[in-house]
Amino acid sequence: MSAEVAPPETAERGPNESGTGEGGIVERLVEFGHALRAHDLPVGPADVLNFCEAANELSVGDPVDLYWAGRSTLVHRRDHLPVYDEVFRQFFLGIAPPKKNEETAEKPVPQGQTGVLDVPDSEGGEEQGDDQPLVLGLQASGVEVERNKRFDACTEEELAAVRRIIKRTRLQPPLRQTRRRAPDPKGRTFDIRRMTREAMRLSQDRGELRMMSRKVRPRPIILLLDISGSMADHSRNLLQFAYSMNRAAQKVEVFCFGTTLTRITPALNRRSPDDALRLAAERVFDWDGGTRIGASLDEFVRTYARRGMSRGATVVICSDGLDRGNPILLSEALERLARLSHRIVWMNPLFADATHGTPNTLAMAIAAPHLDAVETGHDLASLESFAVRLAEIG
Amino acid sequence: MTDSATHVGSVAELQEELRGVGYLAERGLATAAFIGLRLGRPILLEGEVGVGKTELAKCLAAIHGRELIRLQCYEGIDTHQALYEWDYARQMLQVRALSEHELTDASTVGGLYGPDFLLERPLLQAIRSGGNAVLLIDEIDRADDEFEAFLLELLSDFQITIPEIGTVAAEDRPIVVLTSNRTRELHDALKRRCLYHWIGYPSLAEEIEIVRVRAPQVAEQLAEQVVQAVHRLRDLDLAKPPGVAETLDWVEALGVVDAETLDAQSATDTLGSVIKDRDDVEVVTSDLDRVLTD
Repeated sequence: MSAEVAPPETAERGPNESGTGEGGIVERLVEFGHALRAHDLPVGPADVLNFCEAANELSVGDPVDLYWAGRSTLVHRRDHLPVYDEVFRQFFLGIAPPKKNEETAEKPVPQGQTGVLDVPDSEGGEEQGDDQPLVLGLQASGVEVERNKRFDACTEEELAAVRRIIKRTRLQPPLRQTRRRAPDPKGRTFDIRRMTREAMRLSQDRGELRMMSRKVRPRPIILLLDISGSMADHSRNLLQFAYSMNRAAQKVEVFCFGTTLTRITPALNRRSPDDALRLAAERVFDWDGGTRIGASLDEFVRTYARRGMSRGATVVICSDGLDRGNPILLSEALERLARLSHRIVWMNPLFADATHGTPNTLAMAIAAPHLDAVETGHDLASLESFAVRLAEIG
Repeated sequence: MTDSATHVGSVAELQEELRGVGYLAERGLATAAFIGLRLGRPILLEGEVGVGKTELAKCLAAIHGRELIRLQCYEGIDTHQALYEWDYARQMLQVRALSEHELTDASTVGGLYGPDFLLERPLLQAIRSGGNAVLLIDEIDRADDEFEAFLLELLSDFQITIPEIGTVAAEDRPIVVLTSNRTRELHDALKRRCLYHWIGYPSLAEEIEIVRVRAPQVAEQLAEQVVQAVHRLRDLDLAKPPGVAETLDWVEALGVVDAETLDAQSATDTLGSVIKDRDDVEVVTSDLDRVLTD
């Protein structure tokens, strides 16, 4: 394991086929590490060292061995595998990558621009665009475009509201019992460990009973935010709400959906709310596109809930229920989700409106049997009251 | 560490040895395991359910003649369940006995924190066994973050300090295998300590070979039929696609009902061994013909 010895050994033992001098192979391996880093893979010096050590155990001349040595030492996440494959191919096998990176991978968001890209509504049939979705009400926007709306479009009042939420929201997540126990005079189980400790400390058993009980801990909360065109007025607020929730509760997962589902939890784990919201906004690509609630929920169930993310959790869906997708898909997804989670709450801002007093959309009618509560969440006050009442729901 | 290093010569050899105990490891997995063994590092395996993550640890134990020590993680697991705990009830009885007979000299009291009263849990067992053990830390993603941090410390130097006894260190490192179902992302720090490998579903040919090795009594034709059907099942839009474990279960179930080929009748009878979700059963039943024949 001695770290300092390994690289020279690699050089000695390596096949040195093309007359590479002393240390040539090590240099090549290290360069490869740098190449990965240049492609945004988090490859540290320790990883490179491991890679060299691993390569030392195998035959460096065999690209297959080299490939697997690198893959098991330099890559720590499954998502990074395609990048690794690409860089490996390019670096060791000299195969050029397909030309596409420039457009998709890193498109810098222009500073200070509000980012409303007008893409013509070309999807057949539906006549209405984004301009008046709330008035049209019962049908969602037919546009499926990927847009990136920036948070610096917030007005001063909105920004003030953000700060208010973040400061004031005292989130009371629902609680659940854990396996662990803690001292509790009113508990119903003997705390034998504590009694023994005391007895030994005092060298006698005074016969006093110590009790303990199960500890409670907050339930995980999962937020699924609709950011489609018809929810545009609300989605920014919801995202801010998500951020403050993420700060207040222990386990919060946040997803955005429109036409597709995006997990933005990592982006929200920033200390500065502005940074967090900016990152989250950049991550979501179908900002203000159309809505496919069924498909998005289905994707959530398949990729996350099935693995156990929502087990015992309170799932909060924020959407106006204006779905363009297949209603059967929505029904099935919700039914599954109901079985995989503890509670489902639907927050629908339309309910605050007098004219929309009842579940008037098809999606809401389908969802109703699977929901444990329906909230409005249309303004700050209702969000705040929801945060407090969350504990009663779960 | 030297112990394990002397046992494996090359990746191919390791593959061969694993095969000898009924585990077919593809090149990538074998390489990751080989490097892990040679460098004395933990191996972190991720992958879908039922692709043989846990099985690898068992087979590594088998080929090296080591004891398998398994730590099943769950939410709320702590050091008392994972590392060690004092046997408080026995200590209490001992205290009573001592005070009744007024035997309170230093040695008897000191004895209260002796090895007699220490309950070893898997991690301490693994440290004590050292080079004679394979430590399987199963479903690490289910444990809490704090436990992961604790594990990180343990995996880096393989020693722990019990205040009343002193430091216990492993002379040789045990082989460590961690598995995760990715219900949450593990901390990068832990991943860095480990060699990472993602186990995917095997190819058709590989899976037929697996069935042959694990269930040699099964007729070749049936094995092929079943594996092909399972592969078509994986292409269906199922909530819980069957893993390799399910393939083997299915083959076994078919053996129990004495089926010689996989037809609509025998498939329906034994579907419960491969599809374990009611919605999925409906999807498959309505599409059974397509699953059974191309």
